[in-house]
Order: sequence, then C-alpha cells, then structure tokens
Amino acid sequence: MWWNLSAKVSGKFPNPSISLWVRWGIGLWLVTLLSACESSVTPMGPVELNSRYNDEQPALSGDGRWLAFVSNRNGKNEIVVYDIQERRFLQLSGLNGKGAIAESPSLSRTGRYIVYLSSIRGRPDIILYDRATRRSEILTQGYRSWLRNPHISPDGRYIVFETARRGQWDLEVLDRGTSVELDIPDGSPVVNP
Amino acid sequence: MFQRFSLFPIILLTSLLSSCAGYPRLLNFPYDPGGRSLNSRGSELNPQVAGGFIVFVSDRNGSQDVYVYDAKNRRLIDLLGLNSLNVISSDPAISEDGRYIVFAASFKGKSSIYLYDRETQQKRDLTENLQTEVRNPTISADGATIAFEVGKNGQWDILVVDRSGQPLNIPGTPR
Repeated sequence: MWWNLSAKVSGKFPNPSISLWVRWGIGLWLVTLLSACESSVTPMGPVELNSRYNDEQPALSGDGRWLAFVSNRNGKNEIVVYDIQERRFLQLSGLNGKGAIAESPSLSRTGRYIVYLSSIRGRPDIILYDRATRRSEILTQGYRSWLRNPHISPDGRYIVFETARRGQWDLEVLDRGTSVELDIPDGSPVVNP
Repeated sequence: MFQRFSLFPIILLTSLLSSCAGYPRLLNFPYDPGGRSLNSRGSELNPQVAGGFIVFVSDRNGSQDVYVYDAKNRRLIDLLGLNSLNVISSDPAISEDGRYIVFAASFKGKSSIYLYDRETQQKRDLTENLQTEVRNPTISADGATIAFEVGKNGQWDILVVDRSGQPLNIPGTPR
C-alpha cells in the first residue's frame, strides 16, 4: 500500500517536507498511469473512409456492406472494417494483436468471419476472427510451409491460400468442415446435409 | 493390474488420433504438369474462392493470365476474350455465381481495373478516366460492388464503385 511505502520512506528521511514530496510524486505518477489508459473517443456521424496514410488491400463482404482493409492511420499497421451502409468504422476487440503485422484481410458473406495473415511468432499463420464470438483462431497450426494471400469463401467454409510447399507458389484449399456455422443471409432456409 | 493401466494410454492415443483426422483439413486437387488443373509447373498466385469457383493468376502459358477453376467439377473454365499475351493480369476476384470477374491489368505502362462478364464474354475498363496507378481490385460475392486502390494523393486510397464504375457515395472518396 502506498501509505505504508511513504511511511517507510519518511522513516528514512526525518524531514517531513521530503516525505510530502514523495507522497505527491507517487500520487502524480498514479494519475498519469490511469489517464494513459483512457481510450480515444470515436466521433459520431458519417466518417471518412480514407485517411492521409496508406489504406491498402481492400476486401468486400459478400453482401457488399462491409469493407476490410489494412490501414496505417493509427500509427501502426492494422486491419480496420468500414460499414459502407452506416458510413462508420467497426470497433473490433482482439483483432489486431500487439507486435504482429496483419495483412491480406478477407470477409465472409455478412462479414462475420475475417480471415487474414499474421506472423505472431515470426512465421506466417492464417487467422480466422469470428465477429459473433469475438474470438481468433489459428487455422494453420503446424502447417510446414511458407504461405500467403489467404481468402475465405462467402459461406465461410473454405479458405484458399498460396503455399510454397513445392518450391514455387501453388494453391491450397482448406476445408473448415461440415460442423462450422456457415455465414448465410438472414432468413434463408437451412439445408441439413 | 498392469494390463488395466496400460489400456489408458491406448484409449488416450486413439481419441487423440481420431480427432486429427477430422476438420479443418486440406483438400486434394490433382496436380497437372500440363496445366489443365488447379496447380501446374508454373506459379499460381492471388487466389480467391466464391461459390465453388477458384480464381487466380498463373504464368503456366508463358504470360501471367487469369484462370478460373471449377472445384465441384474439377476442371478449368474457358474464359474467351479475357486474357491477352501482352497484358500482365493480377489480383482477380469472382462473384459467387461465377459471372463477373474483376482483375488488375498492366498494359503499355498503364494499370487498369477490368470487369469481365462471362455471359457476354466482354471486358470493360472501369478506370478509363482515372489518370493514376490502380491495383488490388475485389468484387463482392453478389457482384454489385467493386473496390480497389488508387494512388492519386501520394499514398494508397480505396475507391468503392458499382459495376458501371460509378463511385459510391462514401465520404472521403478520392477525387
């Protein structure tokens, strides 16, 4: 506790004015620490799509409503998602990890699944982010070759990407399986396999 | 006593292995050195998948061209009038019904975004009036919206257009 600490410090310094300085110093330090955590306020109303920085690698959702791209606008390379209908940016928690560059985003039909390439431990991995559960999943855990340019199908089941497995760029298709929740439009009939 | 305990790791192993055989898994498409399948002796780049169609570019015929592979019927689809020998094509994208394909093309030092209609077998330059570098086009699965990068203001910006090339009414659209 800080009062114990300042008591200890004041025990070292018999001068009461010094212990007062220490107490103020700790107080100020705490204030700066707390204020640094405050997040920036997002403006309301229509927001401009482009910035003064590079906005690259656009990907549209299947219904054409969402636009994901790589932007350098916040001082770091990150994937942002823009709502073309409402003209604003989505706030996505857990999409952009610290210390990794994310690139090549793609979206499923309603933008539920976001697939992108990231190199978390220095090797490229394909990450699937589910907006419904707000969770990320590494799809290429244990894959033994260099890879790039992933792209998810509109229904969210297949992911196609480039692989260096044969010593040149070839294509590989990943099937997420029959048990995943497909990204289908609202109100469409569900066919059981 | 010993036998009962040795059963545990076996059960553990079988359950572990059987879970590995499931999903997600990689699909096996035939590799054809003659260039009639998905993968060939050339390089295959920039893939996109929609509605069972895999669109990509490949240099298998000596020019970087656009190819569409029908994953259900396991064959390449003919794209009459799309590729030319003196054009470098890149970054293709396809609509879910397989009708519309957008791609970037570099011809005589100018970059353009083309929209190809498989029904009419015609392609159209969507960036005819843009005096700037363009790249990385994409089309939505419903085929109605197209987005690509323009290098007009000294950095890359994103332009969203409809199928006729008209920009959508989005604030911050580069002019």
